[in-house]
Amino acid sequence: MRLPDFLRTTTFRWTLAVSAAFAVCIVPMFGLVYWQTSGYATAMVDRLDTDEVNTIKDATPARAVDELDRHLRVDPLRVKLGGLFSPGGERIAGNIESLPPALAADGAAQTVSLMRIDSAGREDQFARAIARRLPDGRTLVIARKFDDLRRIEASVRNALAIGLIPALCLGLAVGTLLSVRAQRRLDEVTGKIRRIMAGNLRERLPTRGVNDPFDRQAVLVNGMLDEIQTLVENLAGVGDDIAHDLRTPLTRLRVSLERARQRAGSLDELRTSVDQAIARLDQSLAIITALLRIGAIEQSRRQAGFAAVDLADLVREVGELYEPIAEDKGLVFAIEAKDMPAVRGDRDLLFESVANLVDNAVKFTPAGGRVDVTLFGRGDDAVVRVRDSGPGIDAKEHDLVGRRFYRLDKSRGSPGLGLGLSLVNAIAKLHGFRFSISRGPGCVAEIAASRQSRENGAPPHEARPRDRVEAEAHGCM
Amino acid sequence: MPRLLLIEDDRETAGEIMAELADRGYEVDWAASGIDGLDKARAGTADVMVVDRLLPEVDGLTIIEAARQEQVRTPVLVLSALGAVDERVRGLRAGGDDYLTKPFAIAELVARIEALLRRPAETLGTVLRVGPLELDLLTRNATRGNRTIALLPREFRLLEYMMRRKDQLLTRAMLFEEVWNYKFVPQSNLVDVHIGRLRRKVDQANEPPMIRSIRGEGFILHAPA
Repeated sequence: MRLPDFLRTTTFRWTLAVSAAFAVCIVPMFGLVYWQTSGYATAMVDRLDTDEVNTIKDATPARAVDELDRHLRVDPLRVKLGGLFSPGGERIAGNIESLPPALAADGAAQTVSLMRIDSAGREDQFARAIARRLPDGRTLVIARKFDDLRRIEASVRNALAIGLIPALCLGLAVGTLLSVRAQRRLDEVTGKIRRIMAGNLRERLPTRGVNDPFDRQAVLVNGMLDEIQTLVENLAGVGDDIAHDLRTPLTRLRVSLERARQRAGSLDELRTSVDQAIARLDQSLAIITALLRIGAIEQSRRQAGFAAVDLADLVREVGELYEPIAEDKGLVFAIEAKDMPAVRGDRDLLFESVANLVDNAVKFTPAGGRVDVTLFGRGDDAVVRVRDSGPGIDAKEHDLVGRRFYRLDKSRGSPGLGLGLSLVNAIAKLHGFRFSISRGPGCVAEIAASRQSRENGAPPHEARPRDRVEAEAHGCM
Repeated sequence: MPRLLLIEDDRETAGEIMAELADRGYEVDWAASGIDGLDKARAGTADVMVVDRLLPEVDGLTIIEAARQEQVRTPVLVLSALGAVDERVRGLRAGGDDYLTKPFAIAELVARIEALLRRPAETLGTVLRVGPLELDLLTRNATRGNRTIALLPREFRLLEYMMRRKDQLLTRAMLFEEVWNYKFVPQSNLVDVHIGRLRRKVDQANEPPMIRSIRGEGFILHAPA
């Protein structure tokens, strides 16, 4: 038979285990209480018996019977027992029918069963008894009915029943409640996960806004789902983007080849057309190459090749590389790089990403404009900022710029493949860095390298503090 | 007549390469499979080898490694559709001398083969000379005739590279890789702009030009005619 689900939860099993442990502790404790209490009660009774037996024994043998009668006379509760027996064992006086054989004379007090005889009749009584041999050979027995032991036993048992059983029941009830709640939560999550598995990637795990481990994990899983959704949506868009960006140069290529075939009148004209065709093919091939490269960087998990990178040096080098082309275009081009502590990364890739930002800035800033490349510290971050006076972009498009192939429509006429920022984005992600874009006057792109290790983005196996680069691009492309 | 060993499994690509190289006076030996290529490479009779990475039977890099173990010092150009930076590094580490990613322009391939065949001129002393142009590697002075040319550090390296390979076609990609040491292809015409600057310093209006642009291919430095 299958147990109900809640009985099979870990929570319920733990509750059971805790209850069992509780019982295992409580039972010996009650035993100890019983042992101590009964010991005390026995000692009390024994002292009374001993006192009395000594009193009678110390009297002259002739007065023993009188003393015994005096002792037994006042006994409204019928608890006092006593007897005087001849050396042969016959009863001489007292209310005990016969000398119990187990009772040793002149020994310590013992628990025995005695037959009481008095005016009320015979009664078997459970008693603590003490026997003494008198100098004349007779045996004196003084005893006291001793139900206390049974009463103590009964009350301990009752206390156990009254205390332990409800406690165990309460434990079971709480365990059931907790496990039912956990089960319900689990069912809820399982249901959501089934829906996500069925392809509904917009589903999220329920969170209650309380900071319990369940909630924290749900929040984490939701973050993961966000990333997966973004990736899937990007992927879905990529097919269209590739088709679009490849179709444009290929269409132009086809048209120009067709025209060349019909119209070219001389070898030179034909050569010109072929040159154009080659240029357009190169453009298409460059798109494919860039795409493969971005894919390779995105899939790359290796940070093994990372080393210390001097950002100031890198920025100056990018500046040197682009300064002539900026000057040719009539731009004011200013580099400002203060020395910074090194960051960890792949220098070639970081260089490429900064170069890409500068490339874009130079490309999209009209003649007479200005491009500033700055390295500065902000908190723990070393920030590379590329700012230009170009046309800028709309706020709603900030998120889209890092996507593959995305190029703003206003720059469709300009050269460039729309892959530059995708590449920067991929490189930033490889380093565990953030890439985002916000609007500025013109365009501002930022890459910030942090010297502190952050929880986000750091692979769990990597214990050493890692540098983080954030990239933000404002208003370019 | 330089002898070239081409190890490439794609018949059409091999055909184009052979036709182009034959036009330029090469004697081309073609191996279409890894095993065939391995035998020919280990024989070491070619002056230069062009080896595709992805081959049936034996991998291109294995061929190069085997040839190097046989003490074959023939320069090797590795061809590959695998363009990632670490693939390139792996190709060069296996013993390749240069690495070219597919698809490539045939002019780029020829320029690189010629660069491999003509090892850079060894300098006697510390001064490079091409015609009236002199570059002192020790004092880092550049002069053309009596005229001193003021060069920035990168321009100096660019000119040094070009002078060591005078009369050779140097493509943009070769310059970018060798002078700037970058592996990515910039979108802008960066190399042209840098060469343009250098040319304005080297070739003044009244002087016969030494740096020549080959349209769509690259640049050549040569002594003025």
